Amino acid sequence: MISMIIAIAIFGFTYILIMTEWVNKMTAALFGGFLVVMLRLVGQEQAFESVDWNVIFLLIGMMMVMSVLKETGLFEYLAIKTAKAAQAKPVRIMLFMFFVTAFVSAFLDNVTTVMMLVPIALLIASELKISPVPFIITMAIASNIGGTATMIGDPPNIMIGSATDYSFIEFIYHLTPVILVIIASSLGITWLLYHKKMVVTNENRARLMDYNEANLIKNRKLLHRSLVVVGLMLTAFLLQSQLKLEISTIAMIAGLVLLIINNRKHVDQVLIHDIDWQTILFFSWLFMLVESLIATGVMDIAAKKIISSTGGNLKTTSFIILWFSGIFSAIVDNVPFVATMIPLIEKIGHGVSREAMNPVWWSLSLGACLGGNGTLIGASANIVSVGIANRNGFHISFKDFTKIGIIYMLNSLLISTLYIWLRYF
Amino acid sequence: MLLSSYLDADTIAFETSLKSTAEIYADQIGRINRHHKLPLPSPQIVDLVLARDAVSSTAYPSGLAIPHIRLDNFNDTVIAMTFLQNPADYNGTPARLVVLIITDKSSSKLYLNLVATLLKLSANPDIMSQLQQARDGGAVLGLLRKHNICVKTELTCSDIMDSDPITIRPEAKLRDLGNLMNERHVAGMPVVKSDGSYMGEVDVLNLLKVGIPDYMLMMDHLGFLGSFEPLEQLFVQEDIKTVGEIMVNDGITLDPSASIIEAVFEMIQHKKRFISVVRDHKLLGVITAMEVFRKVFKS
Repeated sequence: MISMIIAIAIFGFTYILIMTEWVNKMTAALFGGFLVVMLRLVGQEQAFESVDWNVIFLLIGMMMVMSVLKETGLFEYLAIKTAKAAQAKPVRIMLFMFFVTAFVSAFLDNVTTVMMLVPIALLIASELKISPVPFIITMAIASNIGGTATMIGDPPNIMIGSATDYSFIEFIYHLTPVILVIIASSLGITWLLYHKKMVVTNENRARLMDYNEANLIKNRKLLHRSLVVVGLMLTAFLLQSQLKLEISTIAMIAGLVLLIINNRKHVDQVLIHDIDWQTILFFSWLFMLVESLIATGVMDIAAKKIISSTGGNLKTTSFIILWFSGIFSAIVDNVPFVATMIPLIEKIGHGVSREAMNPVWWSLSLGACLGGNGTLIGASANIVSVGIANRNGFHISFKDFTKIGIIYMLNSLLISTLYIWLRYF
Repeated sequence: MLLSSYLDADTIAFETSLKSTAEIYADQIGRINRHHKLPLPSPQIVDLVLARDAVSSTAYPSGLAIPHIRLDNFNDTVIAMTFLQNPADYNGTPARLVVLIITDKSSSKLYLNLVATLLKLSANPDIMSQLQQARDGGAVLGLLRKHNICVKTELTCSDIMDSDPITIRPEAKLRDLGNLMNERHVAGMPVVKSDGSYMGEVDVLNLLKVGIPDYMLMMDHLGFLGSFEPLEQLFVQEDIKTVGEIMVNDGITLDPSASIIEAVFEMIQHKKRFISVVRDHKLLGVITAMEVFRKVFKS
């Protein structure tokens, strides 16, 4: 009993440190992770075993793939092409960019996506002499929505995919349809919110149409090779169950092949700068921390409480998890939240068929990922995008972001509720 | 380098009885001989030192005598010190401290620096009386170390810096900065307040950056842009922004006593072509990579 209280106390304290960032996030997780080992709440061996290497290596592999792809200039090319395809009409660019951001984010980490695309939106807005703020807010939102569509799009999905035996293709089968509906309705919301506000002169429009995006692809050979490797990787993801390979192995092989065929000099750059070791370590120690809750029995009690309060009804459980995750993720980082929820849901699912647990898992994913749009601090992509805007003299306050974000979040969660209800019950 | 590093406790003596200069030198050379092999027999060296004394006095009004001799093919510099209770007479000038320096014919720089250090030391009555009371070589070395008595051996930043560099005030407008760079043909300069205190540095890249928005710097490629209007921002901002807003203070400055190798090291390490020489927050000068190259390597 005492060990449970200590475990909860350490967990709560670490969580507060992570939320407030009073100390560096990674240091806080590391400290909590080893504190539980030092206090013997969980044995060191067990704590180390709890680290989900599948998640860790998937993250590393995807970061390697990403950094080489980024170097090819493909994403900037895509963004400029999009703006030109929209004939430099602002609302149209916004809708197109929303879609492109969501699409890119389905395969790349959300933060990387916005760090790449938001500067281009700023450039476009500056050329068109319109405010970039609507672009920045909607792109952050799009990245959070798009990331939910696949197993590799957002950290919560990566963790759920690794903890459960759902394959890459099952994620697409269960999540992509609802995300497409959410994207379509979000585009509608975007149009309603902004279509009357943006006017652009023909002169400024011409400047944008004059962009020579072909110059962006400097190294065609690298681009072609990279696209082949990424194509093979995605195919392998889809055939994951036939190949009987874990997704992290596929991502690592793809990442390493890309590194090997790339410029030798670039390899150090990737290994030192482009792989976000802070995030990787943050994940590892988070697993250790959560393991202490499992080992001391806290998880068992919490799971029993939830089962008894919902009467074991999975429909009620799903909706509670969907909305609770959504609201919670709007306020705090969703990664530690999902790391905690996974063992909890595993316990709830004990003795229940895999089929019956479907809605519970997808509710967690949808809630945790889409809830991030609720406020400015709900997702890293929001914070990063607004940070870029602020640095360029466009101040976006918590309120500015939240009053737009909450509309998209409520819309997403309502559609998700409807989807879970209609599809699974 | 510390003066004490050139001395041995053994070669420092305290003499209570009245001695002639010849006797003092013979004793000093005897002490030096215990540690170093001198190229000539001792009496011959004593004669040479006395002959040198006869040419012009080696004693100074502060009570210090620095007899010396340069020997062929010695390739070293050795020192012996004798503190005298009864001053020795150098043609009417009493000396209470006799420092004998034996050096090579070619190494004049170290010798001159040693003399300069000793003269400076003898002008400090406090330290001199402490030394007189020390009573043994080890204590003398300890005192010299404690008071950090140094011999200048290498060039320092203060020797080669430009001590009247072009500078700009933090409140100056960017237009002034641009004009100054243009007229004086400099790409960078320190920023100092009116009281001479160092604020940071500003160079032409800081100036050009005003014309490029932050978001552009985040992009990996800019090949698709032919022209860019925001570069015109620079002209708009010229009369609004001040140097203080664009200057950088990376904390990399040099003390005037810093060695040239340290200056070169810092320049290479931090890719800087000029470094401000600062002491007590005041700008004393600027040292540029080109000056180091010209004055040190080309001379």
